[in-house]
Amino acid sequence: MAERMSALSGPSPSLWRRLDPAAALGRLSETRYWMYLLLVPSAILILAVVLYPTVYGFQLSFRQMRLNRPDLGTGFVGFKHYVAMWNDKVFWLSLRNTAVWVTFAVVIEFGLGLLAALALNRNLPGTKIMGVLILLPYFLPNVVAGHMWALLLDPRLGVINDILVRLGFLETYKAWFADPSTALGAAILVEAWHGFPFFALLLLAGLKGVPDDLYKAASVDGAGPIRQLRLITLPMLRSVIAAAVILRVIGLVNSPDLLLILTGGGPGQSTQVLSLYAFQKAYKDFNFGYAGALSVVMFVLLMVFAWAYVRVSKVNQD
Amino acid sequence: MITTSRRARLGWNIATYAVLLTLTVFCIFPLLWTLLTSLKYEADIVTQTMQYIPKRITFENYVTIWTQSGFPTLVFNSFVVTATTVVLCLITGTLAAYSFSRFHYPGRGALMLGYLVIRMFPAVLMIIPLFILMRGVGLLDSRFGLALAYTSFLLPLFVWMLKGFFDAAPKELESAARIDGCTRIGAMIRIVLPLARNGLVATSVFVAIAAWNEFLFALMLTTSQGSRTWPVGLQLMVGEFQLPWGVLAAGGIISIIPVMILFAIVQRTMVHGITAGAVKG
Repeated sequence: MAERMSALSGPSPSLWRRLDPAAALGRLSETRYWMYLLLVPSAILILAVVLYPTVYGFQLSFRQMRLNRPDLGTGFVGFKHYVAMWNDKVFWLSLRNTAVWVTFAVVIEFGLGLLAALALNRNLPGTKIMGVLILLPYFLPNVVAGHMWALLLDPRLGVINDILVRLGFLETYKAWFADPSTALGAAILVEAWHGFPFFALLLLAGLKGVPDDLYKAASVDGAGPIRQLRLITLPMLRSVIAAAVILRVIGLVNSPDLLLILTGGGPGQSTQVLSLYAFQKAYKDFNFGYAGALSVVMFVLLMVFAWAYVRVSKVNQD
Repeated sequence: MITTSRRARLGWNIATYAVLLTLTVFCIFPLLWTLLTSLKYEADIVTQTMQYIPKRITFENYVTIWTQSGFPTLVFNSFVVTATTVVLCLITGTLAAYSFSRFHYPGRGALMLGYLVIRMFPAVLMIIPLFILMRGVGLLDSRFGLALAYTSFLLPLFVWMLKGFFDAAPKELESAARIDGCTRIGAMIRIVLPLARNGLVATSVFVAIAAWNEFLFALMLTTSQGSRTWPVGLQLMVGEFQLPWGVLAAGGIISIIPVMILFAIVQRTMVHGITAGAVKG
């Protein structure tokens, strides 16, 4: 630290001043608008790669755009895509599947995450390394996560099938992802594996902020661990839980990666969700207009949900 | 009374270990099984009776994926895209995070919220226009174009996470430097950035892991071997060549090694940075 301070008062400031661009930048940093200037590079980037494309996307949803046609078919078609969506069975099915997918995944991930956070927060000897290992899945790529589980659940050589048969839960190996009645459930299991560490991470950090005195007082009053959880821990964690749930719901609604890798929306349309449907409309059919309309609807629904959720959790807090 | 509470505590301790052990096995088992699969001969993978512990071990799968497919190119492309993304975030995001952390000015709150709301924009809503726009300016199927696209969702994260680390860096040294005649930018570069260097590293690693792992944008925005990243390449190999399980597992293991190393090194600081924002706000 002493070195750093002497470097400041030493010859280097004058040296800096002699280098023209640096000196100019230094002078610029003394102006009133410096704090705004600092934002300019990132704002330009965000305008170019987020806001402009988003506006373009909204506008796209009112146009006929098919990249596989020579004329691109870029005419204005009004609400045609939205009307088509209203009559599109797959749209309604994927809306329903999205709701099921997000609800179950969030509930399971929250449950497992809370369990992990509570257990880790007791700081028993030897559990630190487990804490690190439990976080690992969250940082693994979807592509690898998807194929790992596809191998584990494979109908011919899946080790989970083998274990379940040996334990007597299953008669024969099951094709989890090929059966419409189990495909979505199996995908939710994989998603839970991938996503629950996120909840564990945030809830554990939240738990560290709960004062110990509260628990001591409660146990003096004779409250057992279950009542302490219900009356102290969960209320104290409310804002963390709200933040975690919102972030997770946004992530789950927006990213079709895992389903794209595991099932591609099949069998039939049994694991089709909105984001995947929109992506496939663009990627496979090159029907950019319709895909744009689908993602606009998804975006609006997500905004409404986030707004309502924040309202509700605020109201509860007061 | 004391004995019952001691017994109750022992019970809870046993339950705690049981929960953590179960969850650890749940988290690690898929990884372990993939590693074992990558070390097996194909004949030992496709067998009537499951081999839990491989009877013989081979590195053939690793040799195959590395030499008989474009995997090294894919990994190299991913490396370039990841590095470019991190540099873009570092240059633009550090300045923004510093502005949000150190100055109070009209519009600051709204701007910060704006940076946060951007995270809610669905990837598919941006992918489609980005595809058309990048095709228009010749950035489609280029590593730089893909890195630019990645900044769309990683830059807001980067700014928010780094702002937390800047907030935690003491302001006194900076004030002292200012009194000694240092310009604002001088104080930032020479005082604040070195103080927050762990945070800078952890935030960069977080962004690097996300860019390395990303699949959807890469699938849409790259079309040739020249810019394709490993997640897309691996996925397409599975579809096109019916990639044998052992080879696929080897590819998976190779590609997560960098993630595991980075995660192991900065795990503690990174976890701190991810949680700080959500717990405070």
